[in-house]
Amino acid sequence: MDDFEEKLKRSFERWPAPPSLKHRLMENRRRRKERPRWFALPREVLVAVSLCVFAGVFVALYGGLASYHAEQQRKGEAACQQVMTALRITGHALNHMNQQFAANGRAHHE
Amino acid sequence: MAHDWQPDFEQLVDEHQSMVYSLALRMTGDRGLAEEIAQDVFLELDRHLGKIETPQHACFWLRRVAMNRSADALRRRKVRRMDLWVEIEESHGVPAEERVSPLGARLEQLLATLPEPQRAALILRYQEDLTPEEIAATLEAPLATVKSHLQRGLKLLRAKAANHLREYVRQTEYVRGVRTDG
Repeated sequence: MDDFEEKLKRSFERWPAPPSLKHRLMENRRRRKERPRWFALPREVLVAVSLCVFAGVFVALYGGLASYHAEQQRKGEAACQQVMTALRITGHALNHMNQQFAANGRAHHE
Repeated sequence: MAHDWQPDFEQLVDEHQSMVYSLALRMTGDRGLAEEIAQDVFLELDRHLGKIETPQHACFWLRRVAMNRSADALRRRKVRRMDLWVEIEESHGVPAEERVSPLGARLEQLLATLPEPQRAALILRYQEDLTPEEIAATLEAPLATVKSHLQRGLKLLRAKAANHLREYVRQTEYVRGVRTDG
């Protein structure tokens, strides 16, 4: 170590820590220990639990939306069936009326 | 192997608060930030107290975490190197000149102008008196890189100190000249 390095070493003594540092630190530590226990869980566990909650919410929302779409589709198909039935009935009625008109016309000519 | 040593948090704080605070202060140049970092470091130590096996391990652990936290804080705040020492002197309460010689105070100012990796290596070398191998372990950096930072940092600091000294001599001679002429 040369003269310059010796000077550096002498200059770079440790600074004294502020007197309030330890007091504030011990106070923070005491408050931390008084918090509810789940706050003290390791960060990894908290992250895993949060991810599970988010995944659950996502699945519930996705499932709800899928179920809603299926219900809407079922209702649509039922309505479509009813319209087709109504059209068939109307078609039958119109055919019946046509046949009666035709029979009446023939009787009139004769 | 079982170890008999039981870590005592308060005793560890008493022993190492000056070291942790000084590392953070020299790295960041901000007294408030250094105090915050020291608090964080010791609270993290409290959480990991069960894993600390020996007093040396505690010291090594504190140094490593203090340096990491200081580097993180610097990255977050992007503190300008040139302003570091001004803030230390303004806010620390004990002016540097009262603790060390004017040259020593100037050396600390010049240290604050060095790039962060070089500054970190020099602080650990000259404040903590660590070997390059210990610095490499603390900073989790390759030994060759640490040696290079030490060499370059020291060279840069030496050059800056020489410039400062030349400037000082020139100013002194100028003042003497003015007095003689007067």
